[in-house]
Parts: sequence; structure tokens; C-alpha cells
Amino acid sequence: MVVLREGMCPGLDENIVRDLRAANITTVEDLVASDSEELAQKCSLSYKALLAIRRVLLAQHTAFPVSGADLYEELLSSTAIVSTSIPSLDKLLDSGLYTGEITELSGGPGTGKSQVCFAAAVHTALRLKQSVIYIDTTGGLSASRLLQMLQVQTDHVEEQMEALQRIRVFRVFDIFSLLGCLHTIRCGGPQQASLGAGSVKAVIVDSVSAIISPTLGGKQNEGMSLMMQVAGALKTIAKDFNVAVLVTNHVTRGAGGELQAGLGLTWSHVPRTRLLLERSRGPGPLLGSTRTATLVKSSRQPCHIKAQFDLNWGSGPEEGLPGRKRARDSSDS
Amino acid sequence: MKPVSASPLSPSVKVKLLNAGFLTSEELLQLKPLQLSKEGGLSLEEALEVQQILREGVDLPGEGGAGLGSTALELLQQEERSIVTFCSRLDAALGGGIPVGKTTELCGTPGMGKTQLCLQLCIDVQIPECFGGLGGEAVFVDTEGSLVVQRVADMAQAAVQHCCLQDQDAEQRDALKDFTTESLLGHLYLMRCHDYVELLAQVQLLPDFLVKNPKVRLLVIDSLAFPFRRHFEDLSVRTRLLSGLAQQLIRMASQHRVAVVWTNQMTSQLRGGQWELVPALGESWGHSATQRLLLHWSGGRRLASIFKSPSQSESSVAYSVTREGFRDAGQLASSPSGREQDSSSQSESKQDSSSQSGSKRPRTQEGQ
Repeated sequence: MVVLREGMCPGLDENIVRDLRAANITTVEDLVASDSEELAQKCSLSYKALLAIRRVLLAQHTAFPVSGADLYEELLSSTAIVSTSIPSLDKLLDSGLYTGEITELSGGPGTGKSQVCFAAAVHTALRLKQSVIYIDTTGGLSASRLLQMLQVQTDHVEEQMEALQRIRVFRVFDIFSLLGCLHTIRCGGPQQASLGAGSVKAVIVDSVSAIISPTLGGKQNEGMSLMMQVAGALKTIAKDFNVAVLVTNHVTRGAGGELQAGLGLTWSHVPRTRLLLERSRGPGPLLGSTRTATLVKSSRQPCHIKAQFDLNWGSGPEEGLPGRKRARDSSDS
Repeated sequence: MKPVSASPLSPSVKVKLLNAGFLTSEELLQLKPLQLSKEGGLSLEEALEVQQILREGVDLPGEGGAGLGSTALELLQQEERSIVTFCSRLDAALGGGIPVGKTTELCGTPGMGKTQLCLQLCIDVQIPECFGGLGGEAVFVDTEGSLVVQRVADMAQAAVQHCCLQDQDAEQRDALKDFTTESLLGHLYLMRCHDYVELLAQVQLLPDFLVKNPKVRLLVIDSLAFPFRRHFEDLSVRTRLLSGLAQQLIRMASQHRVAVVWTNQMTSQLRGGQWELVPALGESWGHSATQRLLLHWSGGRRLASIFKSPSQSESSVAYSVTREGFRDAGQLASSPSGREQDSSSQSESKQDSSSQSGSKRPRTQEGQ
């Protein structure tokens, strides 16, 4: 529903818009759907001028078909895979986070979603030397933890500082700020790490459910619409700028008591790949550091395969996340 | 070129504007208010309000500093000190103490010492900077009526005595002149809420209060669970209100540089055929706090366990609650804390809580 305004295309001036409006043609759709000859007679406009306007408007507002072969070529040349730096998770994700897609991590509190996000950000900034945009909605991002993870992977302070500079952090706490932030990222100015500059490879939103769930339910009728706008913005960012989008979500209990990702059925169609993280049932309910990831939705791997990973450094760096978190000072019983 | 549907306008106004064919907020701002009200089918007041909201959005891109974002390097340089708890092992496990700019939740069964820890933090946030503290003020929102001012006075006195024994240079002696029990009590703002509506209203008004009192560095809500566990027939409404409240609190913590601490109660849940004690307010509430501490009994000792933290590993430390306040457990604390200090600040020593040995043990600092 695009309203006709003067200046939209070369032949469209104020008088023509007024005449058309008098004939009940207010939007582009109305103009294109009506019969030009009849309209020219009714509004006493030149038939040729009307046809020219119609052609220009059609060219401006239609979608262009693309052949499948072209799409495939484009996919092969532009898709990249961003590793999460955790080998067992990479195996589940078919070697990592794919650009042009949204990947979702869901899990209960303390299951390691933010840690995986940090690991992916650190890996992208340090190894791939690409920028990362991190949108933090829960206050969980701690720059000293990022530095700690970097210090394990490399000893050069300069490299660490450079990597930290490639991670750009936005702190938003409600849904309109998030929409504004995503909009700014897409069309941002030169001083920001805008996507147009071409070096951003990953956009991480931690967590998307903290912002969306207060708007859903009850008498609020706008929540679903805002949720799908966020989804649309993220998908556009992923596709148009070739970045890998990683989002985190909470979990709820389904009808049978089983764990499922939050935000409902509508959101479940948004990410292409979904992982569910859980604490492993090991000895000591509070102090285990292994986590289990289950692949819940994927278009490349069979679903419900699991993998385990460790939040601390296991026997070697290949096994777990880089860097043990600050040493325990425990007096376990 | 921001779309109208993503603007923070009320839903009914948005529907009218979208039906009239407006797509971007630029189109709305280009017209005069009278034209906008005629074309959009709005009243003149609504049109004026729409333009004002959109103009505010244009002037400060994004709310609360999200406009330009900052790099992780800048964030690292801006990180602030934490608030110590006077239990050195807990401080070490937390990486220095309760972090400023983040939210922390304390869960535990009744009588574990949650309120004691909150009161201790209210005192500790006021320790002057030359002693390694923040020199800030505290706000205590009381929903249970469990605050006893005499107890706060006792803790304040113990803290003052502790610092008096530590003074080593002129700057610290100067600071001590203002650091008395009276001043400690004077910089603690108390607010009392009787039900959840008052609590939500209070949290709504707090940002203005924090702007007027920029020295506040700690906000304590004791307890957050109590008003929300009564009189709620519709649990989905409660979940929604709680998640909105959590976002407001983390926004306050982040924008005004305060540490937000709240206490939660415990409830039983049937898991795998057995009843387990879990924190109250539901499963999705577990995501709201940045960091969660669980205070529980274990084999006759009180333990504080970190079970959710983005930067510290999970661990448990023993603590005790004495007449002086929240302190280490009976054993001598021997492990050094890894916290870096500025060269100008003095390392604070933690006093042994056991009353049998009255000796002080200065905490050794690495590299000092």
C-alpha cells in the first residue's frame, strides 16, 4: 500500500496526483490495477503520460525473478562458515554458523549460551580477523571475560587489543531500541561498524527472548507483529550483507513436561538451525561444567543428535572453550 | 528510512497511519501536523504527539547509548570496581565482589543470610575509594519489612572500626573523618513497598531518583519474590510483569552504573519423581539476573554457590554471619585474591570472623 505522492516518478506532479485522488486512485496499487484509457478520459489526463507513469511505477515497485542457477552460483560464491571454536558444536552445526542464516541457541539459565556466543565472537575477531556486532540485552557481556578468552589463545597484547576493537557492542533493553539498533546497523554512518563497510561477519543477539517475551500475551496485540519485525530485520541483515546471525532464546516446558525453546510456534520458523543446551546429568548438580547440545532443527543434519562440550578447558584446547573461567576458590564439601 | 511499524507509537495510532499508506517515519515528519492529521485520520493532538515522539527518536539515535555502540576495548577500559562482601573467599570467587552495572540474584531458604548480605553490601558500597571501595550511596527497597535499623547500625560500626585499624596515610585518615556510623546510615536510602503494584511503580520512578542522586552505586530489593507470590491467579501475567521488571532493572544497572541486587525465595518442584528445592518465580525468571548466588546448608556449614555467571566459574564458598555482619567462615582465609588494584588505593584486609583469634590477617596481594 504505497500512497501516490508528487515527485515519486518524473511525470507525477501535484496536479496529476490531485486529479487521480479525485477519481479515487490514492495508491500505486490502485493506479496499476485500473484501466489507463478509462482513467485518462475520467481525469482528462494525457493517455501517454499516464502510461509512462504506470511503467515507471511498476519498474520501481515490482520484484524481479531470478533463475535458480544464478541463485546457486551466488550461494556458492558468497556463503562462508564461521566456526564457533568448539569442535563438538561445529560438528552438530555441520562445521559452524553459516552466513546468510539465523542460528538459535536455546537453554535454561546457566547452560552456557552466552559462553558459546563469546567463543564465537572471540574466534571471529581473532582468527578470522573480521568484525563482530554483539547486541547485549541482559547485561551478560563482560569485556574482561572476552579478554580472558583472548589471552588463552594468543600471548600478543596487540593482537588481543585489535581483536577487542573488532567486537562492537550495543546494549539495548527493549524492543523498540532493538529495532532501531538493527535499523542503524543496516544503514549506519561511517563511524560505526556498519554492514556496508563489508567486514562484519557475525551478528550476535543475546538474548532475543528477554526483549520479546514481555510484549507477548495478554491484552497486548502488538507483540507478535514486533517479534516478526525483529525476525524480518535479522533475516534481511543475514541475507543482504552475508553475515552469520546467532541468537539466544530461553526454554519453557511443553505439554508433556519436556524442554522446548521459548517464544512459541511462530518464532520456531525463524531460525534455520536450532540447538538446545542442557546441563549434563553428572555428579554434583551445581558444579558440573559439561553441557549437552541437541540439534532440534536443521536442514543439513539429522535432528536430535547430541554432542557434549565443556565450559572449562578440558585436557586440551581442542576439547572445550578457550580459557578456564577465573580460578575457583572453592571449599567444596 | 525507519518503517512506521517499528516506531514506538501506540498500536491504534499505528494502525490508522498504516491504513492511510504511510510507510516510513520520514514521510510522517515531512508533513505539517494539520496535514498529517487529515491524511492519517488522526486528531490534531495525536498528530503532534506522533511527530514529537519521532523527533525524539531521531535526535538520540537509539536509547541509552545504544546509538553508536562501543567496542569491547572501550568497555574493558570503562569497567568499574566491584562491591566487596567482606567475605574474602566469596569476593575471590566473584572476581572482586558484586559487579557494578549488572544484576545479581540471591536465592536461599529462610534464615540463610540473604538480608544480612544485602545490608553488608549497603555498608560496603560506602567504603571510601582510598580503602578500595566505591564511596557511593545505596538504595534499599524493602518489601517484607525485614529491615531492622539497629542491625545496620551494628554492621556500620564494625565496618568503621575495621577501617580505622587499616589507615596508613593522610588521605585515608582524612577519609575516615567522614566515615562514621551516622554518615553510613545517612547515605542509605530506604523505600518501603507493600505490594507488587507499589514495587513496579517504585522501579518506574527510580531512574529519576538515580539521576538526582548520581552517587548511588547500589540498589537492593529485598525481597523481589515476596510481593509476586501472593494474590496472583494468572501466572502468565506474572511472568510478563516480571520479565518487563527485569529489563527495567538491567537497563537501570547499565545506564546509571549501579549494582542491582535482589533476593529470591525457594520453592519445591517435582523433578524425576523427587521433590527438589529450586528458586521461586518460575523457570523463565532464571534468565533475568546476570549472576545468581545460592545460599544453602551443606553438612552443617553455610555455603554460597555461584550457579549462573557469565564470567566466573561455578564454585561454592563457606561463609558465616556474625555480630559484625557477613564474614568468612571459621577457617583462616589463606588464598590471595587475584583482583588488581590501582597503585593509589590501599589493599583492604579482611578480618577473621572467628571470635577466638582476635588477630588481623592482612590479605596478601599479588605483585604488591
